[in-house]
Amino acid sequence: MESNWAAEHLQVIRTLMERSALYRRALAPIMIFNGVIGIVAAALGWRLRICPPQAFIIYWAAVAVAAMAGSFLLVRRQALRDSEPFWSPPTRRVMQALLPPLAAGSMITAGAFLRQAPVHGLGPPLTELWLPLSWVVLYGCAIHAAGFFMPRGMKLFGWAFILGGCVLLAAELAGQSAQPQHFLYSHAIMGFFFGGLHLAYGGYLYFTEQRRNAA
Amino acid sequence: MNPEPFLQLDRVIHEKGRLAIMSMLAASPELSFTEMRDALSMTDGNLTTHIRTLQESGYVSVTKSFHNNRPLTTCALTTAGKKAFTNYINLLEQIIRQNRR
Repeated sequence: MESNWAAEHLQVIRTLMERSALYRRALAPIMIFNGVIGIVAAALGWRLRICPPQAFIIYWAAVAVAAMAGSFLLVRRQALRDSEPFWSPPTRRVMQALLPPLAAGSMITAGAFLRQAPVHGLGPPLTELWLPLSWVVLYGCAIHAAGFFMPRGMKLFGWAFILGGCVLLAAELAGQSAQPQHFLYSHAIMGFFFGGLHLAYGGYLYFTEQRRNAA
Repeated sequence: MNPEPFLQLDRVIHEKGRLAIMSMLAASPELSFTEMRDALSMTDGNLTTHIRTLQESGYVSVTKSFHNNRPLTTCALTTAGKKAFTNYINLLEQIIRQNRR
């Protein structure tokens, strides 16, 4: 009897310790903001026909910086509203988890940016779509890693990027030779993954977070 | 059965609310009052009372500061608090081991 009681106590302690390490900021506004930015940027990129690899990279790097800056502002606003420090231990843990895949993506991008000619063995980054799909896969890895410190389906959201990116990459690599018009697909891929998926997940969180708060 | 470990359990920590506070603080270097209140679904008064008890026992330190012109109260485990919490966990494990034999 005492043993059961002690085991239950330990389980409660474990749960509470895990909960203390979780990132608790509302993610719905951040996801919706990033989704809108992604879709608008993809539509704009398509419309403006931003197709040379370097222009594509600069364009989407600027979009990423804007999205990150906006996300930080939203997180900061929430922290201010709750009278909590912005750079809390859970925020630090999430950032540390996000960093390695995002750094890898930045380095690959820098390599593709500096080498204007087709990369040996990979072909042009946009006409064979490997660059945007690498971003998708690495972003998924970052989200999945951060999901260990976040509640509610974040790891699954990361898997959607990883699997979707890998499937498209495999299909592209197995397909026929590069098509010059593929740059349009690059914007579509960015719009679908970074716009559509964020928006869908943000919508899901928006309604479920509201319901949870009301309960 | 040896009742010794059960009798040794720290009564200050053993209370449900205070155990929850100690558990959360054991996993983080420090936590704000609002973070703990929201995570544990406690009222301000309840949390304040428990924190005061833990503070008087020397297990928790409370820091009051201003963050962006707003008052910020943060709590952290003291060295004595960490030791007491570790002892508490060890005793629970001892109780489990003892009952398995």
